[in-house]
Amino acid sequence: MSNELQPIIELRDISKSYGSVKALIDVSFKAYAGEVIGLVGDNGAGKSSLIKVISGVHAQDSGHLFVDGIERHWKSPHDSMEAGIETLYQDSGLAPDLTIGANIFLGRERRRRGLLGRLGFLDQRGMEREALTELEKVGISVPASKRTVSQLSGGQRQAVAIGRAVMWAKHVIILDEPTNHLGARQSQEVLKVIAAAREQGLCVLFISHTLPHVLEVSDRIIVLRLGRVVRDSPTAEYTVESLLGTITGLSEVTNN
Amino acid sequence: MKRESLTSGALKRSRWIGAKAVIAASLAVSSIAIVGLGSASQAGASSKKFSIAFVVGAEADPFFQSMYVGAHAEAKKLGVTLIWQGDPVDYSPSTQIPVVQQVLAEKPSALVIAPTDTKALEPYVAQAIKKGIPVFNVDSGDANQKNITSWVTGNNVQGGTAAADALASALNYSTTCTSASPCTVAVGVSSITTSTDAARLKGFDAQLKAKYPNITALNPIVSQSQSSVAQQGFAQDISAHHLQGIFAIDGTDAEGAAAAITAAGSAGANIKVVGYDAYASNIASMQGGKIAAIISQQPTLEGKDIIKYAVQRLKQGNAKGIPHLLTLANIVLTPTTSQATLNKYVYTAS
Amino acid sequence: MSTSIDTLESVGPSALKRLQSIVGNQQFILLLVLVALVIFFGERNSLFFTSSEFSNLLIDFSGLALIAVAETYVIISGGIDLSVGSTQAISGVGGGFAMQSLMNHHMSETGVLLIGAVICAGIGLVVGAVNAVLITKANLVPFVATLVTLSAGAGMALVFSRGAPIGQNPEAVAWSATGIGPFTWLVIIVISITTILGITLHVSKYGRNNFAIGSNSFAARAAGINVKRHIASVYMLSGILAGLTGMFFYIRSGAGSPQVGASSNLVAIAAVVIGGASLTGGVGRITGTLLGAGILTIVTDGLIFINVQPTWNQVVVAAFIALAAVLQSIRPGLRS
Repeated sequence: MSNELQPIIELRDISKSYGSVKALIDVSFKAYAGEVIGLVGDNGAGKSSLIKVISGVHAQDSGHLFVDGIERHWKSPHDSMEAGIETLYQDSGLAPDLTIGANIFLGRERRRRGLLGRLGFLDQRGMEREALTELEKVGISVPASKRTVSQLSGGQRQAVAIGRAVMWAKHVIILDEPTNHLGARQSQEVLKVIAAAREQGLCVLFISHTLPHVLEVSDRIIVLRLGRVVRDSPTAEYTVESLLGTITGLSEVTNN
Repeated sequence: MKRESLTSGALKRSRWIGAKAVIAASLAVSSIAIVGLGSASQAGASSKKFSIAFVVGAEADPFFQSMYVGAHAEAKKLGVTLIWQGDPVDYSPSTQIPVVQQVLAEKPSALVIAPTDTKALEPYVAQAIKKGIPVFNVDSGDANQKNITSWVTGNNVQGGTAAADALASALNYSTTCTSASPCTVAVGVSSITTSTDAARLKGFDAQLKAKYPNITALNPIVSQSQSSVAQQGFAQDISAHHLQGIFAIDGTDAEGAAAAITAAGSAGANIKVVGYDAYASNIASMQGGKIAAIISQQPTLEGKDIIKYAVQRLKQGNAKGIPHLLTLANIVLTPTTSQATLNKYVYTAS
Repeated sequence: MSTSIDTLESVGPSALKRLQSIVGNQQFILLLVLVALVIFFGERNSLFFTSSEFSNLLIDFSGLALIAVAETYVIISGGIDLSVGSTQAISGVGGGFAMQSLMNHHMSETGVLLIGAVICAGIGLVVGAVNAVLITKANLVPFVATLVTLSAGAGMALVFSRGAPIGQNPEAVAWSATGIGPFTWLVIIVISITTILGITLHVSKYGRNNFAIGSNSFAARAAGINVKRHIASVYMLSGILAGLTGMFFYIRSGAGSPQVGASSNLVAIAAVVIGGASLTGGVGRITGTLLGAGILTIVTDGLIFINVQPTWNQVVVAAFIALAAVLQSIRPGLRS
């Protein structure tokens, strides 16, 4: 995977503080297209801060962020989306009162053709239809029709949310705890979608507390502790025990 | 003693019902401005001069504005200092009590008050009496009239009676309204629980029953002091009935009635409106042929008279020759009333 | 063979489902209520079916429609605007002063009204902008922010006007009764604005964003929507519509009254709630709001029309709001 020369995303010495709390300290890593990276760490290790910096919710205090070899400075989450990075936040990716199609196209609505389109009419039917076909492409089948997301099951919602990210991402999707609150079968569905995203050549940053899921689907695992990257190794080099030890700091295995 | 006039000040309350509760706080700034004004006028007075504190309810009401004109002119004429005070918009004892406490702290020679509640202000009145400050009532009255030197007020039942007469005359009752084809009139009130409105309506209904049995009054429309609500209601009555007349029980209802018959076009052309309160807008509507008669209170005269009696009391040192209760009649203004008379009664804020 | 059986089987349930969804549809229930009310009042007094009464109902509906639409936008976005009533008063008073001065300078009636409308909308916009700043910059919750402007607006209207209506414009009142049959120009203008805003809410990106923000503002922000800017614009739109309603009542009564609209914020919110919108945001329809406003108008007017004791009027209106609340609470059940 990592034999490509150009990393799709690269962080160099990223630091971020909230008041006196140092959330991130000199975080550096590279990630490549077609790679699933597990991002793990204890509560407060800096996982959320890291994805907020990558997705443009917060700006870093120092350090550099490169996407496809170009240094970027996000002013808003919108900038990162434009650059091909899709972020799925924990439990809050969708608007429950909107239809599946409306959610898939949220922020990227398409207008109708012709005069009505010029007057600002949205192509609601076209978007609903395309949403379903695009979801099917990544192996997600949801009930058709103009159902709202609130009428879907938890697993279906998560699948739609990930499908949305996969559909729009050009380079990177960031998934924050996508298997939280899901049953075993539903989690497997989500992991399948992650694998499908890798097949499409996307880089997936997969944040999770559920270590078996991380070990199952990722190619590489980056461990954060107290704001620092403490280990960055191919998944094959971890066991559940060693991963747990690295996260908690009980077994010190440093990278390089 | 006419019970209804005890709380004739409720007229003002009805005008502010909608905004009352929430406005008070936000208007602290403007209250301060007005308080400032009062102190300034007092500061300019020489210490020998008598000073008369005059506390009203919702001070921005044209009724009290008009009262101010009379009180101010009389005070100037008699060479006394007028401390004019009152919450700008709120007609309630909760805002009036602090105002009374403040003016008493300024040690006025006399206190004139339009109590916003017959009972709640009584302790403060007693406090003033104890300090040797004579107390007078204007418009509304205090429950314990023993404490009060003099009370000048309007007569709302009589106003209602006068309104019935004015309406019958405008309708040309004896020929238009017969037992075979009685006349139907709409009535608009601000609130059915306001005693002023109730007193006027009582006088009106009693007079219809006694003298004009061929006039049927519909159930009253409740405008909540909003002319637009009154207008909407009158439009319904005009559509639903062959309406000959409207009795609009206060200023805002009269405004609504005038607008409703204007908007009704030909259907409204022959409807006679008798309104209440000589707002400039209502006088103009009357002159424009939309209102047949206006029953007016005499706030300017109330203000003038009470100052006159207060000064008399201060100069004499006793209440000799001062009426304990002076009830001013409500005046009927019609299109034939002279301009000079209209000018005298119109509620002017200057 | 088997396909035809499948088809037969699927027709039955789907037709039943369709019927269920129609009956369970709040808008359909509202329409039934509205028709029933019209029949009831007409039964009591057949003059209810006259063109002049229809015209009255349309005008009264129009006085509520603009602020109800404004409130629909605000409530769907997850907020509330309590200031729509007092904004009518302050813009009517401000517009009243301006128009009186124009009339004193002998400007034509048309010119006076056009400029007056712009001034009223402008004053409304200012109030809306204050709401926007309080909510998006000072981070006050909409209830508190608009309570501040409600109080300040109502107070300023009273202080500036000294409690009296501002202006004398009987020509405007006469014009308010002209139009095409029962549809006065005023009503036609209001219905046009309402229609455009209704369509905008349901087919445009702006409307879609409004729903998304009310449903989940975090998701909306994550989708790249500028949530604060949108929220600000919604309150400014609401202010403009309330200002125009102030102008509407100036034209109807020929003066700008400081008391106008004192309780209309609650009536507008009631119309929106009766119409099926959720006070927590994300859900609502303009057609529902308009049906709600129509029902409230017909009840208020109809009870006067059939000469009911005024005490009953408020009770009946309250009953309708309670009914809407019940419909709201059982709706999630209907949904699933």
